[in-house]
Amino acid sequence: MKIKNKFLLITLLSFLFGILGYYYLRNPLYTSTEKNIENEAPALALNANELIKAFATAEDESIKKYEGKIIEVTGFIKEITFLNDRNTVILTSQNSAFGIICDIHPNQKDKLKQLQQHQKIRVKGICKGFLKDVILLNCSIDLLPNE
Amino acid sequence: MNKILSLLVLCISFANLGSKKDQYIARQGQVTFFSYTSVENIEAKNNQVLSILDIDKQEIAISMLMRAFVFKKDLMYEHFNESYIESDLYPKANFEGKIIDFDASKKGVQTKIIRGNLTIHGISKKIEIKSTIENTNGNYTILGKFDASVTDFQIKIPPILSSNIAKTISIQFKFQYQPYDE
Repeated sequence: MKIKNKFLLITLLSFLFGILGYYYLRNPLYTSTEKNIENEAPALALNANELIKAFATAEDESIKKYEGKIIEVTGFIKEITFLNDRNTVILTSQNSAFGIICDIHPNQKDKLKQLQQHQKIRVKGICKGFLKDVILLNCSIDLLPNE
Repeated sequence: MNKILSLLVLCISFANLGSKKDQYIARQGQVTFFSYTSVENIEAKNNQVLSILDIDKQEIAISMLMRAFVFKKDLMYEHFNESYIESDLYPKANFEGKIIDFDASKKGVQTKIIRGNLTIHGISKKIEIKSTIENTNGNYTILGKFDASVTDFQIKIPPILSSNIAKTISIQFKFQYQPYDE
């Protein structure tokens, strides 16, 4: 009787682990849009002014050039906000009407704490387009040494 | 002559200041949509919605990038942008409207109807949205919820997937405005 119970337990457990393993392996198929691009190479690197100028003067062309791509932007911090439970860094430009909204990936929390207004940083994110500001999502932060 | 000219310039600059003062901006508005079916629930959020509120003219304008919607699954994002919304052709959704009987000076919460044109997928439709407007020390927050029919905006869903996507999509929005100063 005891041996039978043990046998049943083992088969049940292995069955359970089998199911869990199956779902675990399947999981990567359903990755979130909010993926981490910290270790991916950017397609383009430029500074905040160049990016904003490109979008403000020729939006359609710039969309073709930048939209959906990982780009690396260097600029100065205008504002850090925590609206809607999102961590957002806004970069300034020479043209005060426009800026770059960078939605920071949750795994960058520690670096975010070190940021201050007017600090110069490098941000890597996926460009989504332009409204009044250029929008970058899934951003990772690269702190620059003070020059 | 010079005096008059300088006075004129002054007047114009003040007039400009006056009109700017009535404008409020939300760069990080939030728009969420839900599709509930028995097969699956789909939710997407856009946290970078732009909106400008003019309290003098009682007007509101909203613009958002369709590709800035974040989904739980990558595949949903792809289907949404490539097949349904066709973001390459129609990258933005816009709304322009008027807040009916809006009293900007009133402190606290007021419920008003916003009437205007919603443009998604290149198709404009007149809608009315019941919204809550809160005024706290001169800063405005607008909240609301409405339903939109998929067929109204000529969004084609293939028959195989029709059971996965609701016929009416529930849309929620939240805008926190700040004075628009340049």
